[in-house]
Amino acid sequence: MPRLPAFPSDCTVTVDGVPLPARAGEPLAAALIAAGRPLLSRSAKYHRPRGAFCLVGACGTCLVRAGGLPNQRACRLPCAPDLVIETQNAVPSVRHDLLGLLDAVYAHGMDHHHLMTWNALANRAAVAVARQLAGLGQLPGADAGPVPPGPPAQAEPWEALVVGAGPAGLAAAEALAEQGRRVLLADSEPVAGGRLRARLGLTGEPGLDWAAGVAARVRAAGGEVALGTAVLGFWIDAGAPLAALRGEGRGLRLVRPGRIVLCPGGHPTPLAAVDGDRPGVHAARGLLAALAEHGVLPGRRIAVAGEGAEAQAAAARFAAAGVAVEAAPAVARVHGRARVRAVEVPGRGRVLCDAVAVALPPAPAVTLARLLGAAVEPGEDGTPAVRVDAEGRTSVPGLLAAGEVTGAVDPAAAAERGRRAGEAARG
Amino acid sequence: MGKEILCACEDVTVDDVRRAFETGYRDLESVKRYTGLGTGPCQGKSCIAAVARTLLKLGATPAEVAPFTARPPVEPVPLGELAALDAATLGLDEGVPAEPPPEGAGVAPVAAHPDAPLPARADIVIVGGGIMGLSLAYELGRRGVRDVLVLERGYLNAGASGRNGGGVRAQWSTPTMIRLARRSLELCDRFAVDMGINVWTRRGGYLFLAPTPEQVTRIEANATLHRREGLRTRVISPAEALEVVPELDGSRFLAASWNPDDAVVFPWPFLWGYATRAQAGGASVRTFTRVTGFETSGTRIAAVQTDRGRVACQLVVNACGAWSKEVAALAGVALPNRPTRHEILVTEPLRPWLGPLVSVLGNGLYFSQSQRGEIVGGMGDPVEPEGVVQGSTLRFLARFARAAVTTLPRLAGVKVIRQWAGCYDVTPDNNPVLGPAGFENFHQLSGFVGHGFMMAPAVAELYADWLAGRGKDEIFGRFGVDRFQRGPVAKEDFIIG
Repeated sequence: MPRLPAFPSDCTVTVDGVPLPARAGEPLAAALIAAGRPLLSRSAKYHRPRGAFCLVGACGTCLVRAGGLPNQRACRLPCAPDLVIETQNAVPSVRHDLLGLLDAVYAHGMDHHHLMTWNALANRAAVAVARQLAGLGQLPGADAGPVPPGPPAQAEPWEALVVGAGPAGLAAAEALAEQGRRVLLADSEPVAGGRLRARLGLTGEPGLDWAAGVAARVRAAGGEVALGTAVLGFWIDAGAPLAALRGEGRGLRLVRPGRIVLCPGGHPTPLAAVDGDRPGVHAARGLLAALAEHGVLPGRRIAVAGEGAEAQAAAARFAAAGVAVEAAPAVARVHGRARVRAVEVPGRGRVLCDAVAVALPPAPAVTLARLLGAAVEPGEDGTPAVRVDAEGRTSVPGLLAAGEVTGAVDPAAAAERGRRAGEAARG
Repeated sequence: MGKEILCACEDVTVDDVRRAFETGYRDLESVKRYTGLGTGPCQGKSCIAAVARTLLKLGATPAEVAPFTARPPVEPVPLGELAALDAATLGLDEGVPAEPPPEGAGVAPVAAHPDAPLPARADIVIVGGGIMGLSLAYELGRRGVRDVLVLERGYLNAGASGRNGGGVRAQWSTPTMIRLARRSLELCDRFAVDMGINVWTRRGGYLFLAPTPEQVTRIEANATLHRREGLRTRVISPAEALEVVPELDGSRFLAASWNPDDAVVFPWPFLWGYATRAQAGGASVRTFTRVTGFETSGTRIAAVQTDRGRVACQLVVNACGAWSKEVAALAGVALPNRPTRHEILVTEPLRPWLGPLVSVLGNGLYFSQSQRGEIVGGMGDPVEPEGVVQGSTLRFLARFARAAVTTLPRLAGVKVIRQWAGCYDVTPDNNPVLGPAGFENFHQLSGFVGHGFMMAPAVAELYADWLAGRGKDEIFGRFGVDRFQRGPVAKEDFIIG
């Protein structure tokens, strides 16, 4: 039962020459999970088996070659009948990669700084061999897809740029739009909602109908909701922030915003466990979004790693979809190679499962704020978060932030703080 | 068995982080460089929090786990899309400065490094723990001069030594520079074995493309000199250049200067290697220690003042790269140096396809493929003003991308994952400033105009010979700071970037 019956496959994509059933528009990574094939790539150094982990473009474990271009994220490639992809970095195949031997040979790790420095001949060989093993994808083909048209000569002026269309960003954009401000709301995901897409149903959590309403109100106020549009960064240009935005296949846009509200949320936290990087270990929110939007079932028995309200809600959502759930407050080790077979749970021992959903608090996505010089503060465990006051003001004038980028906060509170940041940005 | 992976992009494990920490690389900037974590396609998004937690558990201080400097772009972006930007509409602003950290600006604060306290005195104090200062300390130790203290205000590799493209070439336009560079190339070849740490020296050659007849004349004259000096440099046609790099657009240049013996290296381990061996030879290296002034006595400098105390000394070497001018000014000495920002970027790692470092004469573009497979490249900007500025600009991405895609069209689909900047330490004649200035025991080792990294191994040997009383090479007469008062100076004209 790879998918809920209400979500039938309606197209076929080609992976390494083999047809794979998919739903048009869903990310390739979701189609692979639904097909029970989480193994997707091999890691850079040890050729460890890997699959899509974060499912939101924040990690580097699902890179494939598509359209003649290397290192495309499978979680960002929409399925379509003409989608042809090749896996990378494996000889001869990701399933049976001879270079996977490196992982066994260097079972205790490889100290590349001191590898074969004992004599000139050995060292020369090490340099030559290491070069041949380096890199992920091949240089783009001469026939790689056309480069999108150039951006307009002038940067677009917007009264406000809101980054991230999760609960905080939506609420901030709504507060700005209510005052008639022209807002550009950008999110790198193709669907608005951020973590609301996981439909966790936490206390006070706004629904996706609210998200759709906000998008409509932003547009009615002369704003734009730019989905599938990543903010590449901020640079200081002519003394003011300049942003470059990128939509896959649509080229770059330059934006000079009057105000900036950063609500990019957090990056999924990897599972801190021995072999916690195995295919079949995924971020819980991404899995739940794929379940809700495309009926993707990650397996028959899933271990939900993490504690607290979100982990419990995630477990309930999987259970409601008919997946057997194992609670795993902590995971010490993951068993299985090409995919998860079991997890070691301290105090419980070995727990059989064929997938792991990681429901740990995300790491605040502080990079954009830091590019503008905003102060960050480490939380108790050292995880840095953007420092804000009660109105969402950062240490940089005109730069506000709200939601999980400022630390752990539930969706209802994130929306409330986003709203306050939007109100502060109006003034 | 199994591995607990912290950085999935670069396969960095908890054990790797522990090993780095125990070796003395405790702050997150240093751990990043020593392990490679956070330098892959995800840009540290998924690993940085996990690494901070790991370091805290190992005993790091909160200041030490402050996140490493944020570097745009946040997501990979193809050069072809950047090439479509109009650089003329983009400014050259300083950007958010990476160094020095502005108060409360969220840039990583200088960590409280648990180094041993400063000694009260040292025979020689070297200011600047870049490759110049560290290689000199190492070479002095080999010559029996052991009471040497190196002061570095940041972490190792914080300055231009950790920010350059790693090119090492013998193709210069004067016999002196060719001699120094050839010696450095020899030392690079041996570095891993001599110093016990890999620097991944690869003799892939340098290919200079000459797009105009004037540039062709220039490379032909240089090639004549090179052959006289015993180099294998040849001026080759576009068709021959395409045999070296088939992906080049052969219509974009008239001829090329090709030397198959030039090399690229991985810069960071040079500093670790020199620092480790210098300390084994008796020197002390203190990071996160800032020089704040000098005590003078007549014609001599008597002591160096730092934010961690005072060190009495017999001799001071100012080897601060772009900061040399301001450090000399602390002693009231004016240097003619003009530090100038130089931006650089790195792309996604690709399987090996590019042999040489390719450079285009005229616009300053250069790029090569690193040992890890990334394309590393930079390009100077003629309107860049003087100043120690290390922020990044979108203008550079646009200019580099357009020049790179024009030179090698298939780069259009290659994605940039990180940009940064360092400073060239420029002098009026593009040659270094060596020897005492202002005070008889205040030695200068600066002004290398973007090629200090490649010259350092050879220059350090000669400087150590001189300071150890083993003879003074002619470069110290040629490149004294007083030359600028003596009238017109012959300019080294083969600067790239």
